Amino acid sequence: MMATSSGTLSTPSAEHRGLLAESVADFVARGTDIARVRRLRGTSAEYDRALWKKMAGLGWLGILVPERYGGLGLGLADMAIVARGLARALIPEPLTATAVAAATALGAAENEALKRAQLPRLVAGDLLPVLAWQEQAGGLDPAAVETRATPFEGGFKLNGTKRFVAGAAQADAFLVSARAGGGVVLLLLPRETAGAALSFEPLADGRAFGTLALHDALVPRSGLAASGAAALEALARAFDHGCAIAGAELAGVMDRALEMSLDYLRTRVQFGKPIGAFQALQHRAVDLHIHRELASAVLEEALDVLDRNPAAPARAAAASRVKARCADAATRITREAIQFHGAIGFTDEFDVGLYLKRALVLTAWLGGATWHRRRYARLAIESST
Amino acid sequence: MSSPTAQTDYHAMGDEDFRREVRAFVEREYPPRLRYILHRARWREMKGWWRRLYEKGWIAPNWPRSRGGMALDAGKMVIYLEEMERHGVARPPDQGITQVGPLIMRFGTAAQQEHYLPRTLSGEYIWCQGYSEPNAGSDLAGLQTAAVLEGEHFVVNGQKIWTSLADDATHIYLLARTGKGAKKQQGISFLLVDLKTPGITLRPIRNLAGHDEFCQVFFDNVRVPRGNLVGELDDGWTVAKALLGFERLSIGSPRRPQYALNRLEAIARAKGLFGDPGFVDRFTALKLDIEDGATLYGRFVEQVKRGEPLGHDVSMLKIWTMETWQRLTELLVEAGAEQGVLAGVHDVAGVEADFLNPFYYSRPATIYGGSSEIQRNILAKYVLKLPG
Repeated sequence: MMATSSGTLSTPSAEHRGLLAESVADFVARGTDIARVRRLRGTSAEYDRALWKKMAGLGWLGILVPERYGGLGLGLADMAIVARGLARALIPEPLTATAVAAATALGAAENEALKRAQLPRLVAGDLLPVLAWQEQAGGLDPAAVETRATPFEGGFKLNGTKRFVAGAAQADAFLVSARAGGGVVLLLLPRETAGAALSFEPLADGRAFGTLALHDALVPRSGLAASGAAALEALARAFDHGCAIAGAELAGVMDRALEMSLDYLRTRVQFGKPIGAFQALQHRAVDLHIHRELASAVLEEALDVLDRNPAAPARAAAASRVKARCADAATRITREAIQFHGAIGFTDEFDVGLYLKRALVLTAWLGGATWHRRRYARLAIESST
Repeated sequence: MSSPTAQTDYHAMGDEDFRREVRAFVEREYPPRLRYILHRARWREMKGWWRRLYEKGWIAPNWPRSRGGMALDAGKMVIYLEEMERHGVARPPDQGITQVGPLIMRFGTAAQQEHYLPRTLSGEYIWCQGYSEPNAGSDLAGLQTAAVLEGEHFVVNGQKIWTSLADDATHIYLLARTGKGAKKQQGISFLLVDLKTPGITLRPIRNLAGHDEFCQVFFDNVRVPRGNLVGELDDGWTVAKALLGFERLSIGSPRRPQYALNRLEAIARAKGLFGDPGFVDRFTALKLDIEDGATLYGRFVEQVKRGEPLGHDVSMLKIWTMETWQRLTELLVEAGAEQGVLAGVHDVAGVEADFLNPFYYSRPATIYGGSSEIQRNILAKYVLKLPG
C-alpha cells in the first residue's frame, strides 16, 4: 500500500493520512488480536518477526528514514498515526524502539557507509536494531555514560552494562553509547558479538527490558556510527522523537481503554438501569474524555512542531510536553477504566487491565510525566534568561 | 453621537491586514488603566471606549452592515476577539450587542428592529439579562416570574437575580411565564422591558470581592406593552436558546488564566520561589495545563474559522479553562503566604501583586454561563452519548 505509492506520499496531505489510518485499522483488524498479544506475554520471543516483516512490507518501518536510504522520508505525524493505531491493539512489536528511536539515531549518524548498509535493512525488517544507551534507573542524560570504549586493533573494545533496553528480545543489533577518551561514541554492536551477554527483566505488560553486559566486546571501526557532539545529538534526537511517538502510543492506549469503559457504562445494568445513567460516573467519564482530547490536541501540535525540525531546545520542549500530557492522561484513563468495570476489571482474563499495564510501561519508559515537566521547566527558564 | 460611518467591506480585507488594523486601533484607543481589570467593567468606565468603537463602526462585529455592524466572517470574528483579549480589553456591558440585538433581528418585528437596534448600537440603551431567579438557576425553565396579558399590556410580577450590572442598564430582556405547557419549557415568553417602568426595584448584591456586580430585580405589577413581546407568545424558550456560537467559544478562552499565570510568575520570581523544587513542580504542571488548554482552544478556533458550527463538545473548554484558572489562583494565594491574604494591591519585592481578587473572581467561573456540572451533563449526554 504505502511502499508502492511512496512517490506521491512525500507531500503529506489529509488524504494520504486518512489512507494511512485506514491501512493501520485494516492491519489491526486482520493482522493481530488480543489473543496473540496474550500468547506472546512473558515469552522470550516477546514479539513476532513474521508480523514485523509485514509491517515492513507496508512501509511503516521506513516512514522516518530518508528516501536515499530506502525509506519513505515522511514525518513523525505520519509515524504517530501508525503508532496510535497499533497501540489500540496493544501490539508488542517494538515499533517506537526500532523504527523511531533506533532509526532516528542511525539516521543522524555520521558514518555514511554504515547508514547505506544498515538503514535499508532496517526499513526492510531484516535488521532489527534498538538503542542501548541507559545505565542508571531514571538516568536520562545521554552524556551520563560509564560504559567504556577503548581503542583496540583499529576498532573498540566495550566494557560496561547497559540497562532498560526496550525491544531487546529479538533485536539483531544494539546502538550502544560508550565513553571514549573525553567524549561519547555511538557504536552498532551485532547481537552475536563475543563478550556481549543479554539478560532480561520482565515488565508489567508482558514484555521485557534487556540488560546488556559487555566484557571486552569488540566493535570494528566500521561500526562507529557517530562520536562526540554528533553522537550526543543523535541520541538526544532519538530520545525526543521516541518520546513523541511513545506519546502517540499512549494516545492509542487511552483511545481504546476509554472506548471500552464507555461501552461498559452504556450496557452494564445495576439498580435497573445502565450504570452510565448515574451522574457520578458520567462526570468521571467526561473528565477522562477531556484529558484524552487535551492529549490529542497537544500531540497533534507537537508533532507539527517536531516535523519542522526545530533547534534542540524547542525539540526537547515539544517532546516533553507530549510525553508529560499523554502519560498523565493515559495513566488516569486506564486506572479509572479498572474502576468503571468493577471486579471484572481486576481480572486477568478481561482485557482492560492489559491497557493499564501498557500505559504503566509506556509512561515509565523514556521518562515519566514529572521528569518531563521538570525538563520543560528548565528549558523554559533557559529560554527566558 | 454621530451614526456609524465606517462601512468598510471587511470581507475584501486580508486576515493579517485586518488583525494589524484591529491591533493598532486597540493599542492606540483603549484606556491603559482598564487593561486586564478583574471586576466586571461598569458603564461609567466603559462608555468612552464604547463611543470610540461606535464612531469607528466597530461596536457590533457580529451585526450585518445594514444594521451598522461589521458583518465579520467567522475567521475575522475570531481575530477581532483575539486582539481584544490579547490587549486585556474589558468586556463592556455588551449584552445588547451579543445577545438581545441578534435575537431582535431574528425574532423581532420590523417596529422592534427599527426602535431598538440603533439605540442599542449607540449605547443609548444598555441591556441586562433577566433570566435567573432565586428558584431557577441551572434549572432555568423552572422560572416563576409571571406575565399576565391584560388588554394591551403584560402585567409582570416576580423577581430576577444575579442580574449583572442591572444598575448600569436602561433595559432588561426577560423570560417570564405566560402560560402552562406539558413541558416546563413551554409557556415562557421573551419580553423587552424599560427599567424606568413603575413597579421595578433594584437591589444591588455585594459579591465576595466586595463589589456590587449584580442585582436582584423585583417586578411589582409592572405594565409592559404587548408590543414588547419578541417572538411568539409562550415560545420564549426557543428565542432564548437560539444564541449559540461565539459566546461559548469566548467563555472557554485561555486568556484569563494565561494572564494570571504571568502575574504568578512575576511574583514568584520576586519572592525567589523558583528555588523551591516543590513550587516549581506545581507551577510547571499548571503552566502546562494552561498551555495545553490553549492548544485545545486553538482546535475549536480553527473549526470556527473553517466556518463549521461548534458542537456540544465546546463545553469541555469552559470546564478546563475555568477549573485551571481556579487552581492557579489558589496557588497564587498560597505563594503569597501572609501577604496572600492581605486585601488589595501590594508591592511584593517591587512587583505589584493582587492575590485575593483573582482568587475571588475565579470562584463563580464554574457557576455562571452554565456551571461545570451542567457542562459535564451536556458532554455526557450529547458527546459521550451516555444514557439519561
